[in-house]
Amino acid sequence: MTDDLELLRAANPVRADDKRWPDGPLDFHAERRLEELLGERPRHMSRRLLIGVAAAGLAVAGGLGAVITGTGSSPAAAAPAPLRPDGVSTTVPLERIARTARAVAAHRPTRARRGCHVQEWSLSMETGPGAREPVSLPEERWSRWNADGSGSLLVVATDPRHPGRPVIDGSGLRNRVVTDGEILSRKRYPPGSWGGESMYRMPPPSTPGALRDYLAQRYRGAGSDTEPLLDALSELLTQWTPGTRETAAVVGMLARTRGLRPAGAVTDRLGRRGQAYTFGGRGAPDQRMVILDPGSGKVLGLELSFVKDVKEYRVKAGDVLSYQAWI
Amino acid sequence: MSRDDFFADAYREHYGAVGRYVARRLDGQSWEVDEVVAEVFSVAWRRRGEVPDDVLPWLYGVARNCLANTVRGRSRYRRLLLRIGNHGAAHGQWTAHGPEAEPPGAWVREALASLSESDQEVLRLTTWEELTLEEVGLALGCSTAAAGMRLHRARRRLRTRIDRMHMTVTARRACDD
Repeated sequence: MTDDLELLRAANPVRADDKRWPDGPLDFHAERRLEELLGERPRHMSRRLLIGVAAAGLAVAGGLGAVITGTGSSPAAAAPAPLRPDGVSTTVPLERIARTARAVAAHRPTRARRGCHVQEWSLSMETGPGAREPVSLPEERWSRWNADGSGSLLVVATDPRHPGRPVIDGSGLRNRVVTDGEILSRKRYPPGSWGGESMYRMPPPSTPGALRDYLAQRYRGAGSDTEPLLDALSELLTQWTPGTRETAAVVGMLARTRGLRPAGAVTDRLGRRGQAYTFGGRGAPDQRMVILDPGSGKVLGLELSFVKDVKEYRVKAGDVLSYQAWI
Repeated sequence: MSRDDFFADAYREHYGAVGRYVARRLDGQSWEVDEVVAEVFSVAWRRRGEVPDDVLPWLYGVARNCLANTVRGRSRYRRLLLRIGNHGAAHGQWTAHGPEAEPPGAWVREALASLSESDQEVLRLTTWEELTLEEVGLALGCSTAAAGMRLHRARRRLRTRIDRMHMTVTARRACDD
């Protein structure tokens, strides 16, 4: 019979010459990460990272478990309710908004601007014995960049749904309650730094195909699958504010993306009317929703929500895992 | 050479190997592997003052700890989603049909998976990462002799499992006939 170690060698699921993790020159992502480490540059805390930190079992600060249904002085901790299309208005095909965005770009062409202004909510979850209710971590971020590569990043704890109420800050190892509007982070970057975000140092292209390629080069799977494409778009929009031309490219790209379904009109968490397009659900445990301004094509928001209960994390169908609203 | 330069060289040289190490132990998506690899090098960066000259086995040791922590959280979360979403394809590659099935990798991996985690790791390091006993010792934080002993015992237990699976299939065939 064949030697047991030989059998195991033959059963290696990832061979040494596997092209996904080759030896030799690093790909763009790996080089970028190394740059970040060497420069100890700040890294944007993504929704996925937040999920990871929370899911890894880092405890929410003591006492926060009781703040889900607080009064005016309690933190706005509960998970936001998912956006619900009104179900009355007629759905708008993505292609129609893409045409509108192209027309706007042709009439009033503007270029992408580095930096963004976004309000984010992320759900912090615990697992294991004694896990507490998920809590919502809201923050508002502004990043601004100058022509010489200098810039600034400001992060504020705030929840515009509940002005004046304390909120939970999840930017540290342990969550804590802070007052509304507390500055969590203020950074200034010297000329030439571009914030260390080398992955998106080049401005986004202004045609749908080129934009998709641009994202695929920077985010694995974005060239072929809708889910990573939407994640890549989310990352891009935390680095750049598209001009009208790039906005037209974004909507054009979405119009060609498989699986995005028009869901109707919604009012987002900042009170803006938009058209919603969903991906996922229908057997999948989660669902993504893109909200577009039908008059310009601008991405107003991206929402990721559960469509099934996940008892392990004490989340229920409808809980919002993350929401980003671009301002 | 500064520690930072040393780290950068090690990063560039071993990034692929660490990726493969993680991928072999994480039946997930590419981005999951990328996230764990990023975590491995973040930890290595914080501990760059203690990186030994023989870097790769040490990195495997860091990766093992990261996987132990991360699989329980981040990746388990994702796999949980896959599971509750009935994404059967995510698990199909690990379905074993018995020693007679082709290709043989599935049932060997099933035999491997039935062992304790420490047995599995010493066997994987030896065969999939192709480490020497001394390097296995470095990765596991034990002496070369202890690594040899662990490997010996793990092989014996694997052999037993394989033989048992073989006998089961043989007996089933006899019944079918």
